[in-house]
Amino acid sequence: MIGQGERLRAAAVGYLNARPLYEGLDREPASSRLRLECGSPSEVARRVAEGEADFALMPVAAAATIGDLRVVRGCAIGARGAVRSISIVAERPIDTIDELAVDLSSRTSVVLARLVLRARSRGREPRLLGATARDAIATVSGARAALIIGDPALEIEGRFPHVLDLGLAWWELTGLPFVFAAWCGPKGVLSSGDESLLTAAKAVGLERRDALADEHAARTGLTSASLRSYLREAIRYDLGDDERRGLERFYDDAASAGLLPRARVRFFDDDRRNGATLPGLDAILSRAAEGERLSAAEGERLADEASLFDLGLAADAVRKRKHPHSVVTYIVDRNVNYTNVCTTSCRFCAFYRPPGHPEGYVLTREQLAKKLKEVVDAGGVQILLQGGLHPGLRIEWYEDLFRWIKREFSLGLHALSPEEILHIARIESLGVRAVLERLHAAGLDSVPGGGAEILVDRVRRKIAKAKCTSDEWLGVMRTAHHMGLRSSATMMYGTVDTAHDRIAHLIKIRDLQDETGGFTAFFCWDFQHEKGTNIEPGDNGTVLYLRQQATARIMLDNVDHVGASWVTQGPEVGQVALRFGADDFGSVMFEENVVSSAGTTFCMNADAIERNIRAAGFKAVRRNVRYDWLTVPA
Amino acid sequence: MLDAIVQKLHAGERLSFDDGLALFRHPDVVSVGRLANEGRERRHGDRTYFNRNMRIETTNVCVASCLFCSFAKLEEGAPGAHTMRVEDAWRELEERMDDPPGEIHIVNGLHPGLPFSYYEELLAGFKRIKPDVHMKCFTAVEIHFFATHYGMTYREVLERLRSAGLDSLPGGGAEIFHPAVRTRIAHDKATADEWLEVHRIAHRLGMSTNATMLYGHIETFEHRVDHLLRLRALQDETGGFQAFIPLAFHPDGNGMRNLPAPTAIDALRTIAVSRLLLDNVPHVKAYWVSMTPEVAQIALCFGADDIDGTIVHETIYRAAGTRSPGALTAQQIVRLIQEAGRIPVERGSLYNVLREHPRASVPEAAVNVRDRKATKHLEVLS
Repeated sequence: MIGQGERLRAAAVGYLNARPLYEGLDREPASSRLRLECGSPSEVARRVAEGEADFALMPVAAAATIGDLRVVRGCAIGARGAVRSISIVAERPIDTIDELAVDLSSRTSVVLARLVLRARSRGREPRLLGATARDAIATVSGARAALIIGDPALEIEGRFPHVLDLGLAWWELTGLPFVFAAWCGPKGVLSSGDESLLTAAKAVGLERRDALADEHAARTGLTSASLRSYLREAIRYDLGDDERRGLERFYDDAASAGLLPRARVRFFDDDRRNGATLPGLDAILSRAAEGERLSAAEGERLADEASLFDLGLAADAVRKRKHPHSVVTYIVDRNVNYTNVCTTSCRFCAFYRPPGHPEGYVLTREQLAKKLKEVVDAGGVQILLQGGLHPGLRIEWYEDLFRWIKREFSLGLHALSPEEILHIARIESLGVRAVLERLHAAGLDSVPGGGAEILVDRVRRKIAKAKCTSDEWLGVMRTAHHMGLRSSATMMYGTVDTAHDRIAHLIKIRDLQDETGGFTAFFCWDFQHEKGTNIEPGDNGTVLYLRQQATARIMLDNVDHVGASWVTQGPEVGQVALRFGADDFGSVMFEENVVSSAGTTFCMNADAIERNIRAAGFKAVRRNVRYDWLTVPA
Repeated sequence: MLDAIVQKLHAGERLSFDDGLALFRHPDVVSVGRLANEGRERRHGDRTYFNRNMRIETTNVCVASCLFCSFAKLEEGAPGAHTMRVEDAWRELEERMDDPPGEIHIVNGLHPGLPFSYYEELLAGFKRIKPDVHMKCFTAVEIHFFATHYGMTYREVLERLRSAGLDSLPGGGAEIFHPAVRTRIAHDKATADEWLEVHRIAHRLGMSTNATMLYGHIETFEHRVDHLLRLRALQDETGGFQAFIPLAFHPDGNGMRNLPAPTAIDALRTIAVSRLLLDNVPHVKAYWVSMTPEVAQIALCFGADDIDGTIVHETIYRAAGTRSPGALTAQQIVRLIQEAGRIPVERGSLYNVLREHPRASVPEAAVNVRDRKATKHLEVLS
């Protein structure tokens, strides 16, 4: 519980339908007890997940993803029947659509839509396409429908011949109310006094509904009458036993469909009444082994309490479900670092040289040609091209380079991590999408997932101040995926990160993967400490590496492949990692300048890789960047 | 497949030859490791031993011609052959007297031209410099060679060396006992029975010894199980083995250079099966020089409770191409053990506890009052 002397940090989604729940919090006594900040659903969830807020009015899907949260009894944003602001619209009957453009910012609505559509069409589901509300509405035609949420849904009422109101559809399907959002927080964070403040604020807010509707009408062009009835009739603000059953049903169905981690609905006052019991570790592990999605809270319990064997065996079971052929893949490629000149000066990097440094280089075409020819001669299928953030290289330089590589060598181009894409965008004053489109046109095939480090900004600020934020990194990947470019995802841990941060990182990858499906594989490694780098190592070691990789395999239920990072951990540990959830052995390495600058130098040719794979009990297969098999398992 | 073995282990029954074979052949090394870990934790909990030791090889001249060896040079005067003067060997200890090792571990080639007094002087000199240093010297193969070369019984050799300062025998030279393998890889040195007899006599004289197995070359799993069971039988008789140490074959520069080295998974499996079969040997050691420090750390969860010591400086595996460093500091070893979630215990040569280190401390970043993990622990305590 947060002591009475401290102010609670609250967050809430800033939508119109949420305002009646928090309008009253700006007056005493609530205003001196808590400080409220509003944000988008994902931002609100992030704050709770990363400990920046003590509790929040958040969508129920986000609460399930974080896991093990408690709910304030009596307050929610819900509906008993038609809700009006969450609808699927189409030009023809909803049950005949093939594609659904969805506003991915609302995870709860997307999950609800998928459950309703599955139930109505006996499992047949349209293909989902991420889009902004405006694009989604504009592209509705024929077999393409759109899931529209919030103000845009109210704006287009009556515009399309076929509308499926998801509040109503849920009611018809289950006979239960639907709860979209509620006040949620970790166990014990709110006292009964705090809950009373929220209930009292709700009473004030409900009284102000007409005024809120009028205000919103003036700002948006929607009519007052429509909004008044929306807040008074469509949206329900209760959370009693019926709503709880509705939410439990939603959680159960979503978990069974693999769309959300299995979650229970527990009120803060349940704990005060009976003292909650934790589910057994074995139950979590066996659910993971069976392919169920785990919440962040469950992931943290595994990280804290599960043994190395628990994690290894569960991860191996997940690997086996996804890859039942006992095959481990690897790729013949080469890591080429085109420049070591970099303006970022990350504290953990021993590779970079600042602009103007005598040891700075940019590879010449001759040097590159020699390296690439060696790759082709060795049967290589791609190069991984990455470098520092060179202030003098313009986008034309990259375009020329890519065209030249594509012209002269038949190699896949896995190039430029998000940080480099953002750097080019800054230099050229272009958007990320424009940069990616130009590079794609010049030959870019896929985007490496480097530079993710830990996607928690508190950690990033400490180890890589000048680097992009978590959202920027994820944003580049989202854009690339939407364009059809695939990418890998990575994690570098072992600096100032905690187990909590590492799970938060995995959840962010998983959430984006739900949206785009663009990640092919996940790799992790620990910070490679060496003199020349200006940062102390944190949680480290080989056993932790195996635990971390296994945890990733368990948590990332929607990412196909997990790779063993033998380049950082050594061939020996890389092999052992194959029994801890990995189904890929990474690359035959010609060179890897960045890691080897920090003192790690390992070498392995294709024969040695295949021998290690077989000695671990698998068949070896060469792959390309899309993980297509290029050889017969042997 | 493991169920019957699990039942036996839980009932405290001894595993058979076939059980050992089944464990080596079981496809899931993690499950085998988990079983071995139970045995390890039953004996030692999280305690994990290491010592501050120093290795010296005073001669690599050797009359034996073992196929797996990259260290020995057959004759004095051959390129690379060297024999240290005893004074030079002693100097290595003298130079380290500001932070002296507790144990000196000497393993040599079988030199045909040295007088027996060389070895007696060598031992006595170290004891003069540091009377309480533990001398763990000369494998059973060397003891056997001394006996035949200088015309003594094993007992006489051991007693004379003990009078000069010998405290215990290392476990080397065991290789693979089974004659089908031993006659091919080590035909001209002590046989299995001779190796075991030296240890039997040492044990009867009250000397502790270790045992090893060189695996991962031409032997089969049957040969490994046979090897382990022969050791178990002698241990039933004498109880004199302190630790068992599996040694991974390394192929560089020796007569089996066409063979690949065994992989890490084989190393972990061998540690685990050794722990399960050798129910009467107190310690199983993950010799980090042979398996790399990284894999040795994993081995501490797969049945091993000892990670050897600081070593300074090993040359036999270096010659065979290991990528392990020649030495680790005590601090590095403590961290290796802590990272495995274990408690580092610095030991003397007879497993007497010198110092127990803390478990890994919680990194500061993890201690945060608002961290749910931290509050959870507080609730459990209150």
